[in-house]
Parts: sequence; structure tokens; C-alpha cells
Amino acid sequence: MDTSTKPLPSVNSWTKPFWQGVREEKLMIQKCTECGQPIFYPRMCCPFCFSDQIEWMEASGRGRIYTYTIVRSNAPSSFIADMPFVIAVVRLEEGVQMLSNIVDCEPTAVYCEMPVEVTFEKLSDEFTLPKFRPAQA
Amino acid sequence: MGKLKGKTAIVGIGEVPTGRYHERAAIVCAIESCRQAILDAGIKKDEIDFIIPTGSMYSSPYNTEMCTSRIVEELGLARKSTANFQVFSGGSSTGNILKTAAGLIATGLAKNVLCVHSDKLATGISAQGGIDLFSTAGISAEWEVPFGMHYSAIAALTMQRFMFETGTTAEQLASVCVSNRKWAELNPNAMHRKPITVEEVMASKMLSEPLHAKESNMLADGGSAFIITSAERARDLTDKPVYLLGEGSLVTHHVFSQDTDLTRLGFVEAGQAAYKEAGLTPEDMDIAELYDSYAVYQLIALEALGLCGRGESGEYVQSGHTWPGGELPMTTNGGMLSQGHTGAGGSFAILVETVRQLMGKAGERQVPGARFAIETSTGGTYMDSHAAIFGNIIP
Repeated sequence: MDTSTKPLPSVNSWTKPFWQGVREEKLMIQKCTECGQPIFYPRMCCPFCFSDQIEWMEASGRGRIYTYTIVRSNAPSSFIADMPFVIAVVRLEEGVQMLSNIVDCEPTAVYCEMPVEVTFEKLSDEFTLPKFRPAQA
Repeated sequence: MGKLKGKTAIVGIGEVPTGRYHERAAIVCAIESCRQAILDAGIKKDEIDFIIPTGSMYSSPYNTEMCTSRIVEELGLARKSTANFQVFSGGSSTGNILKTAAGLIATGLAKNVLCVHSDKLATGISAQGGIDLFSTAGISAEWEVPFGMHYSAIAALTMQRFMFETGTTAEQLASVCVSNRKWAELNPNAMHRKPITVEEVMASKMLSEPLHAKESNMLADGGSAFIITSAERARDLTDKPVYLLGEGSLVTHHVFSQDTDLTRLGFVEAGQAAYKEAGLTPEDMDIAELYDSYAVYQLIALEALGLCGRGESGEYVQSGHTWPGGELPMTTNGGMLSQGHTGAGGSFAILVETVRQLMGKAGERQVPGARFAIETSTGGTYMDSHAAIFGNIIP
């Protein structure tokens, strides 16, 4: 991917540990210390029990594709050069969901419920994005 | 009896044709639609005490004018109207306007509420500008925009999972466009009225797989308006008020990828609440006016609202049951896939069409003897699901 013109994430103050984590090639999610639920995207307080006692944990990075699409036309301006590319919703083993791109495989090889694992793509000195690729056996 | 059942009614509607109109300003669409609605209702304009303009997306200054009472002054209602304020939630704006206006009327705070929309998404912005607008509007700048997310992809992601879980085929999804177009052929206000076939839809450009270009809404200029009042006042004004019988809604997400059931969204809960309040069942519905910014959302609603069984909506539409003359006429103005997508106006147009049908004013496409209709809308990245049931009688 051409990374020079890509939109950079608009970061919230309390999500910085996530972005620092991916810069170090770690996929960080949150966990509520009171109710034990894993949380993503990062919140100021637990969306399940409303506690503010939240800690960070490194996710397994493994999951399955809930759904996906191959973008072939009419992409946003800064992604036109990347077509075709795959956008997917990934369900991590921890039970949380996130949007990402599926890389390192033919777009047509992707399917619903495909096992995937995280990989990291550097966007700039400040930002790295978590992407997913087919799970290695 | 529910909180709102039969307490309010829509008595007047207005609409300008949808399409590409370089010379027609958005304010012209708004004023013309309001004027039509007031004349249609047979109400004195000075009786309008609340004005609710919804959001306009093509121009922030124009949107600000609507928020700051331009319509009030243009219609000569200054020092007469009590309140002008915006209710806006993207495509679900009508769902939220209905709650707001009906609630205000039911409690006696408002008497006659004029609701209006206009936008200029075809000629007020460039084609790539439209794509870029809809790659950021309501899409998370932290969690989704950096991955190239945009509205075609959102629809495609929804279609993919819906097809995976229900076995719906690509041809069946394409047949939704055919159904909508058959209605648009009969609608002089629609943008696209030429007949279309499943083969033509399937042969159109692939945007984000499995979404074809002709399964997408068409950005358009347009405007529409309606007036809602108390049931008592409505019966003075017309012999065919269109009563709000029940409504329901559920917000399922803000960030699209957080939704846990893309194949139903919140339409199961929204529909159950609406049926319960109306005291009606899916079998009672004569028309389904379903929000259709993309074809898949009509199939999701057909199934989640109990109008079709799980996995049966595609075959149902493909078999022609939703066409003119079919057993369940669906999205009878042609929807955003044919009438055009005017922003929040997509659901305004579908609501106005619901009322038009139940008033018996739908001309060539009138559904004979229609008594009850269910109408849906959904906003943002399909963040919320709204269902409302209307009737020209109170059951």
C-alpha cells in the first residue's frame, strides 16, 4: 500500500496505549478488572458493568473473519491506488470485533469464518495499523 | 393502548422531483415541498407552530440556515411559530422526527408540526466529493477510516454475511433493484424510471464485492415535507388522516464493525415494538415501505420484521410478490435505488410515499384498498433501526 497520503487515525487520549502497542507490534485490547469482560475498541469505562477499573492486555491476535469485501471500484481517494484490497470485520478469539484489511493472500481466497492472525503495517513513524493474514498452520 | 397509537396523524405531504438539477437551489426544494404540504393538508399556514427541518449534507452554511429558522421566515411564520429546531440522524431522521413530533403533539406542547428536508447531493458536490463525503460521514476516524472504509464497503460487508447466513443469492439481491424499478416506472418524481433486468444489474460495475453499481443508491437533489397533527384536528381537516399506530427502534452501534448481528440489525426489536403498540401483526400489513439505500437492507427488514421467513426474502422478491400487483407491495416510490438518495431525504421520501399510499393519492401506483403499512429507516452506518406502522383507520 502507498502509505504517504493515507488518512491517519484520529486518536483519543485514553486509546494511546493501543497505538503505542501496535507500534511495538503488540495488539492491545482492554479488560475490565471488575467483570472480566474483554473490551475493544478502548473505552473510558467498561461498556458492560460501567466500572472505570480497566486494564490493558495483549490479545492473542488470532480470530476469524465475520465478514469481508473486496474493494474493486469507487474507493476513497487515498485508497484508489490500492484496489483491489480486502476490508474485513475480524472477530478475535477474545470475542471482540475490529475492522481491518486482509493482506498476504489473494483477495479471492478470503471467506467468511476464515481463520486469520494479526500482522502489522507501518503507516508512518507515529502510526502502525494492525492487519490480518490467513492463519499459519 | 400504547403511548402514541392513533393519537397523531399526518395530514399533508409535499415533494419535488428527485434528480440532477443544477439550476434548482436546495431552498427552492424546501419551500416548494412545504407549500405543497400545507396546501395538501388544507391548513392555514399560520397554524404551523413547530418547524422541524432535518439535516442537509451538501452544504454546512445551508444546513445552518435551516437550523436558524430560514423556513419560518420564508413561509411568513415569524412571530407566529413557537419553535424551529433540527432533528437529524442521517437516514433514520424520519424515524426520530416521528417520535419527536408525535410526542410533542400527544403531550399538547405542539399542535401542527411541519417537517422538511432538502439536499443537493447530485449537483451540489462532485462525484468523488460524494464518495469522500460518504467515506467519512459517520465512519469512525480512529477505527475504520484508516482501513479504507466507505459506504459501498459497508453495504458489501453486510451483504456478504447476509448471503453467508441465509443462502440468499446474488441474483436474488439483484432482483430487489428490479422490484424497486418497477415501482419507479410509475413514479413521476423518481430519478430513474427505465425498466431494468437482473442481468443488467449483475453486469453493472462491481464496486465492493458482492455489491454492484446498480445495487447502490444514486445520489440526488430533492426535497419533501409533511405535516403531522393531533388525530382530532386531522379528522377536521381530511376524511383520510394517516394515523401513526405504532413505532419502535433500537440503536445497535456507532462504529459499524462493532455490530454483532449484521443480518438483522435492530429490526427485530423495532418491529416487535411497533406491532405491539399497533396491535397488529406482519400478516396485517398491506404495504412494506422499506428503506433501501442498498438492496440488502430491504431483505434484512423483510425477514427481521416477520414479513418473510429467515432466508426466504430473496426468493420472495425474485418471484415478484413485491412488484406492482403483488401480494406485498414494497418501497412503492422506487426507493433510493430508483427515486434517488437525497441524504436524510431518502427516508423522508419513503415516509411521504407511505402516507401518499394510505391517503389514496398514489396515482398509477396506488395499492388498491391499502389500510396498513409498515415503514422503516436506518441511519449513519446502519447504527439504528426504526419501524413505524401507519393506517388510515385505527384498528
